[in-house]
Amino acid sequence: MAQIVVYGIITGAFYGLAAVGLSLVFGVMRHMNIAHGSFLMIGGFAAYWLFHLLKLDPFVSIPLVMVILFAIGAALYKGLFSHLDKLPEGLKINNSMLVGFGLTWVIDNLAIMFWTSDVRAVTPSYTGKVWHVLPGLRLPVVGLVIIGIASLVIFSLYLTLTRTYFGKSVRATAQDRDAGNLMGINVERTYLIFFALSAALAGIAGVVAAVNYSVYPTVGFEWLLKAIIILVLAGFGKIGQVFAAGLLLGIIEGVSVYFVGATYREVVGLVIFILVLLRRST
Amino acid sequence: MLEIEQIDVYRGDIQILWSVSLAAEDGKITALLGSNAAGKTTLLMTISGLIKPLRGRIRLEGHQIDKQPVHKIVELGVSMVPEGRRLFPEMSVFENLELGAFTRKARETKDQMIEEVFGIFPILKTRKVQMAGTLSGGEQQMVAIARALMSQPKLLLIDELSLGLAPLIMQHISETIKQINITKGLAIFIVEQNVFMTLEMADYGYILENGRIVGEGEAKKLLQSEEVKNAYLGIEEV
Repeated sequence: MAQIVVYGIITGAFYGLAAVGLSLVFGVMRHMNIAHGSFLMIGGFAAYWLFHLLKLDPFVSIPLVMVILFAIGAALYKGLFSHLDKLPEGLKINNSMLVGFGLTWVIDNLAIMFWTSDVRAVTPSYTGKVWHVLPGLRLPVVGLVIIGIASLVIFSLYLTLTRTYFGKSVRATAQDRDAGNLMGINVERTYLIFFALSAALAGIAGVVAAVNYSVYPTVGFEWLLKAIIILVLAGFGKIGQVFAAGLLLGIIEGVSVYFVGATYREVVGLVIFILVLLRRST
Repeated sequence: MLEIEQIDVYRGDIQILWSVSLAAEDGKITALLGSNAAGKTTLLMTISGLIKPLRGRIRLEGHQIDKQPVHKIVELGVSMVPEGRRLFPEMSVFENLELGAFTRKARETKDQMIEEVFGIFPILKTRKVQMAGTLSGGEQQMVAIARALMSQPKLLLIDELSLGLAPLIMQHISETIKQINITKGLAIFIVEQNVFMTLEMADYGYILENGRIVGEGEAKKLLQSEEVKNAYLGIEEV
């Protein structure tokens, strides 16, 4: 059982990474970016090619992948999502979902075109290595690194949002856009950077996924689904809760495999999703 | 300080302001009075850049600002206390004040300004770590004014100071504003429905009706004029 929980925590740390960017952008900017999963996929492929072509260790390549995704995120925000910012909240959410869906189609199909639909994984020398800490308890090295990265990300995001002027301006504009503007905050620029940052976070999750699981052009949608379940579990925009919900989902899925078998693993998450939605609506 | 020349302002397809011209002078309190829906808030939003005029010009110290984005206008020295306070409710009083000093220039004098506004409103110091959304109406208005002062503006815009405040608190806050005006020599442009109170603290007043300026004059003279009394103060001679 302890072993199942360990794997659950590792999966959960990845889920948290996958969901945090989506949640922040929705919480602050009211964009429901369906293409977030595709950003993850690009991050995964970036790590894959950097590993295969340049022999770059996937975890070392993270900063580079973040820069790539930051640039892609900035360009897509400027070109597509920023035009929705003038809309009232409800319309903005709906339209950003439509834009995101379209974008997912385009990105995923471009990925198939350029990279084929083969399933790929990044396999550095330490893949599959485990530490036997206690009899019957194995800690995979990759898993520990993932937990470390997730902790680092959540901690630095927390510090950024609470301690820096950028973070404060982000929180302020989330609460009242015009009032933030009247403080001298360049809201458009802040949103651009924030959206790009969220894409960079997707990039980190993508690298993690490519090492711990595998990556292929349409994988983004599966991860998006997990991220949305977590979003509903956690509420919006609170990083701590997002990671807690990620861990919870990871552990519940892990434990459920023990009871209902791996086939129904995906179902468990969706059942939780529906239960939470039913409770929220009352 | 501020000169507005014949601006026409629309919201959607509807024209709200019709060829409005006015000026706010250095070191003076200028009041814009008018009933509900006269276009007062629209005028303030136009000065701060949230709405752009279709025609006409707005100048701040001779520089044209009507085409500048909001954050640039803040940097140039215009600060606003918006209608309904518009604080950041889920942030502490201290963080609200910090955001008031967001512009690069204001950040340098942030600590000193925080001390200064705590001096003006001592009660805020005791509320420093409290979430702004949990304060009373009067305290929220104090935070809104203090936040607007943090950027060390040249011109302070105040929208509906009296909204939702008890008369006693209102009197305290309006006295404080007069005090700020005198000690800092700060130009203040205030928009109000409460004509009586505003004209008592203001130097000069304009009257806005259905989007047009229909009268202006020294505040004291406006207070005396029969026309204003009848139409805006609601003190009809019986």
